[in-house]
Amino acid sequence: MRVVLAIAGRDLRALLHHATGWAVAAGFLLLAGVFWLALLDGYVVHGQEQLYDPYSSVQLSLTNHLLAPYFGNLTVLVLFVAPAVAMRSFADEVRAGTVALLATSPITAWQIVLGKYLGSLGYVLVLVAATLWMPLSLLAWTVPDPGAVVGGYLATVLLAATVVAIGTLVSATTEHPLVALVLTFALTLVLWIVGWVDPDPTSPIGQLSLAVHVQDMIHGALRRSDLSYFALLVGWCLFATWQRVLAWRYA
Amino acid sequence: MTSTPSIEVRQLCRSYGPLQALRAVSFTVATGQVVGFLGPNGAGKSTTLRILAGALAATSGQAFVGGVDVAADPLRVKRLLGYLPERPPVHDDMRVRACVRYAAILKGVADPDAATARALARTDLDDVAERLVGHLSKGYRQRVGLAQALVHDPRVLLLDEPTSGLDPAQRTQVRALVRELARGDVTVLLSTHVLGEVEALCDGVVVLHRGQVTAQGPLDALATAAPLRVRVARPAGLAAAVGALPGVARVDVGEPDGTFWVHGDAVPTADVARVAAAHDLLDLTRPGGLEATYLAATGGAA
Repeated sequence: MRVVLAIAGRDLRALLHHATGWAVAAGFLLLAGVFWLALLDGYVVHGQEQLYDPYSSVQLSLTNHLLAPYFGNLTVLVLFVAPAVAMRSFADEVRAGTVALLATSPITAWQIVLGKYLGSLGYVLVLVAATLWMPLSLLAWTVPDPGAVVGGYLATVLLAATVVAIGTLVSATTEHPLVALVLTFALTLVLWIVGWVDPDPTSPIGQLSLAVHVQDMIHGALRRSDLSYFALLVGWCLFATWQRVLAWRYA
Repeated sequence: MTSTPSIEVRQLCRSYGPLQALRAVSFTVATGQVVGFLGPNGAGKSTTLRILAGALAATSGQAFVGGVDVAADPLRVKRLLGYLPERPPVHDDMRVRACVRYAAILKGVADPDAATARALARTDLDDVAERLVGHLSKGYRQRVGLAQALVHDPRVLLLDEPTSGLDPAQRTQVRALVRELARGDVTVLLSTHVLGEVEALCDGVVVLHRGQVTAQGPLDALATAAPLRVRVARPAGLAAAVGALPGVARVDVGEPDGTFWVHGDAVPTADVARVAAAHDLLDLTRPGGLEATYLAATGGAA
């Protein structure tokens, strides 16, 4: 475990050393903040309008009109941020030749894969954690539905775990971080929009979609099938990355 | 020094697609020996070192480090050896101390801080320990790579051109370090292009050319097996006369005119001199023992 944490810690620090890490963090937090303030402003304005129109057909709810749209935006931001963080994990090491240190140290391929994965995921999770103050600030006025907040963050974290796993796998197949970024983003986008082909979310194609599995969780519904979907996808990507690392010796 | 081989390579082959980088390479290095690994660029030296270090799989054949099969138990082998590739695997975004400490943790050292301090002192890096690796000169980076390779006190050290990019003073320091390691029973396989370095440091030599071992053995024996260079004023008939002598394997014509290279395991120098005297002998030398052996083994001479 010490080795896994050492590799993860090194990658985390490397992200803080590179401008990319800071640019990604700044962009993510800025946009998350803008989305939050815009949604909050819209919610307050609608609330005031309802005061003058008590017979309005729209019943404002914190979960449906503020938290769900906020987490919807946050998950979309993760689709952009996670590939940018994971793109360097293996590609940079191969390009710089530092991969030789990993390849000739007495460590297993699994330790390398988990270290790399947790390093990138850790960074994305720190960014996600930095947005916690937004929904928690509601506590100053009201108590939001804990299911919606927990579900929203769980969806964001699971999506981040999945996209980082895809990014780690792609990064292990190229020595160009930019190629890894574009490919990961393309793959993730396909997985996100594949559900559009069939509007029925229960259809086999609908079940392939990342968006379908994220949606219900954002509204506070936690299903075993959604958790299994993310676990399977992460597990498969890490397994494939492990195979890729084992194949280094045959390159 | 004992006779137990620390490194043993048996019939090692490695192909990169259609290119055969190694063709049945076999050699051994005894414990505590420093062996020079020589050969022109592309001869297969780095490929052999990478296979020994467990970073590359052989197409066929076997490699053993400390009696352990590299393919069967790579983790055990990796604990035994330190490897400095041609391009040191150092992270530009880390400070020197952190970089070496990271290697110590990867190599499973129980006390990474103490091991790092020792490795930094041995490679004379204390002064730059808190500097970023990316800000260091090539020579310093090479030494950081060496500190990483040494940090877990390996029994076997594979060094791929460790002095390239170093200034003369740093080169001397690295040589002194290799000598000190060898006294401590560490086995060193040293790939280099600098023959003087091999003569100054090594007990033995393995010469690789086009993926094959073309010469190997103790340095002294190889130096005496070097071809004899004879230069005469009247070359006509000399090659045949010398070639007929017992102990002479072959005689090659060299440059300039009147120069001949006499090959053989036990060339009778006195007899060659007597025959050459009849052809007006100008010069008879065994030039730079190792250099002649190297050039002969790599097709670069005579």
